[in-house]
Amino acid sequence: MGDRRWTTIEFLGYVRPNEEAGIRNYVLIVPSTRLVNIVASRIAKYVNGTKTIITGGENGRHKKDRMRLRNLYIGLSLNANVYGTIVIGAKAGFGYAEFEPSSLAQEMAKSGKPVRVLMVEECGGLEKTVAEGIALAREMVQEASRVRREPVPIGKLAVGVKCGLSDATSGISGNPTFGRMSDLLVTAGGTVIFSETVELIGAELDVAARCEREEDARRLLEMVHEAEEAARATGEDIRTINPLPSNIQAGISTLEEKSLGAIQKSGTSPIRGVLEYAQRPPQPGLYFMDGWMSSFSLPMSLAAAGCQLVIYQLGGEDLPSADPPMLATNTGVVAPLMMMTGNPRTAQKAHRNIDFSAGGVITGECSIAEAGEALLAKVCSIASGEWTKGETVCYEDPLEPYFLGPVF
Amino acid sequence: MYRALQLHPSDNVAVVITECNPPGKVSVTSSSRGEAFEIEALEKIPFGHKIALRDLAKGDLILKYGRPIGRATANIAKGGVVGVHNIEGLRGRGDLGRQEVDDHRISGIRASE
Repeated sequence: MGDRRWTTIEFLGYVRPNEEAGIRNYVLIVPSTRLVNIVASRIAKYVNGTKTIITGGENGRHKKDRMRLRNLYIGLSLNANVYGTIVIGAKAGFGYAEFEPSSLAQEMAKSGKPVRVLMVEECGGLEKTVAEGIALAREMVQEASRVRREPVPIGKLAVGVKCGLSDATSGISGNPTFGRMSDLLVTAGGTVIFSETVELIGAELDVAARCEREEDARRLLEMVHEAEEAARATGEDIRTINPLPSNIQAGISTLEEKSLGAIQKSGTSPIRGVLEYAQRPPQPGLYFMDGWMSSFSLPMSLAAAGCQLVIYQLGGEDLPSADPPMLATNTGVVAPLMMMTGNPRTAQKAHRNIDFSAGGVITGECSIAEAGEALLAKVCSIASGEWTKGETVCYEDPLEPYFLGPVF
Repeated sequence: MYRALQLHPSDNVAVVITECNPPGKVSVTSSSRGEAFEIEALEKIPFGHKIALRDLAKGDLILKYGRPIGRATANIAKGGVVGVHNIEGLRGRGDLGRQEVDDHRISGIRASE
């Protein structure tokens, strides 16, 4: 379990009106309907310090999926890394009710942070909305820049985790190191969210047994059952889908094996609750959230659940041997995506993009406990303003919300 | 000497952490007990792949992390490489009958009890 020493550690954060603390200080531009993606995208391109979320949007999706997208927008706005939000709309009553700009803005404003709405109809057209949005966003980022970082306890941190391109080190060094860090952070009053429902298949009983509440254990088993039934419904051998060919190349032979390695990232803390997709945890602690493992999906989804930082725990054995591209760049939208690995070979070949290596656990240079403490120290530094290597790059991968489907 | 890790005392496979090129012995460290034992590697085993710690018969459950990760689809000799060519997972498989998956799920529950 966690070490009490860490409970006194602070990071430098941007304190928000609701007492939450951001590790970044962005203005978020939300296109409430995909019709205005072009507006949000142009404003974000023109104004420094802004972020936006451009997706395939809501059309032809059923109510449950529309609610997922709505929660994603609201959650990203509520994320403590966001200073304020500008919601772009077409005109009142346009499209599905879930995306009515005034309704989105009302939920977002509950944080006490600035929220403004711009409507194409009222601005007098597409390009006038872009112009007005640019002016508004420039004012808002300048206001945001006047907020100073100040020391706050690490208990204010919520860290999300995604493990990717798993190999044999994922379950031995990388995920256990994250798990150790998670135990330290949770003991210090912080929050950790893990996800990837399909990758509980074969390990779900161990995870369910750690839920504090019976109803959460039941919901978790139900989520896994739904995922397994969906996999079975394809009529395919799951190994042609997950584990991915790269996982198999790296020594992971079955989905169960991948799952048992994957859950090492949850550490040993009790599981305080089980969250629906993009749902914010009601109190600090360790949580499981229903989510899709895609590198273009999960980071922003964890950010919508309130994580100020998302850690990508990379295996990477099967990656090209020199300076390989990363599986995702800046897909946390408002949350930086920090890359770590437990594979010393990945750490070496991808050193330009790896923020933290627990490879020493494999080479025998350090213990999991030592690596976990070092990881938490790195997390504190990044939370206090150090950029992740991904943040130094002006590129954002496409975003894929986790929809249930089907589409109509 | 090559190296491998046994992640749980009940595991019948270990993870190779230095590529094995036989002939040669593998020092297997049991992560819970911290002690090592030696076995002979029968074939080339890449970094991160699994080595059988005892003779396994077709149909045997493969245990890693103390949990079943699938079953053997062929006999596997102690010191042999264990992978998709000789084991298969049983969860989430649309190509298998319901009964087979349920049986495996039950064996998983038993192993975790």
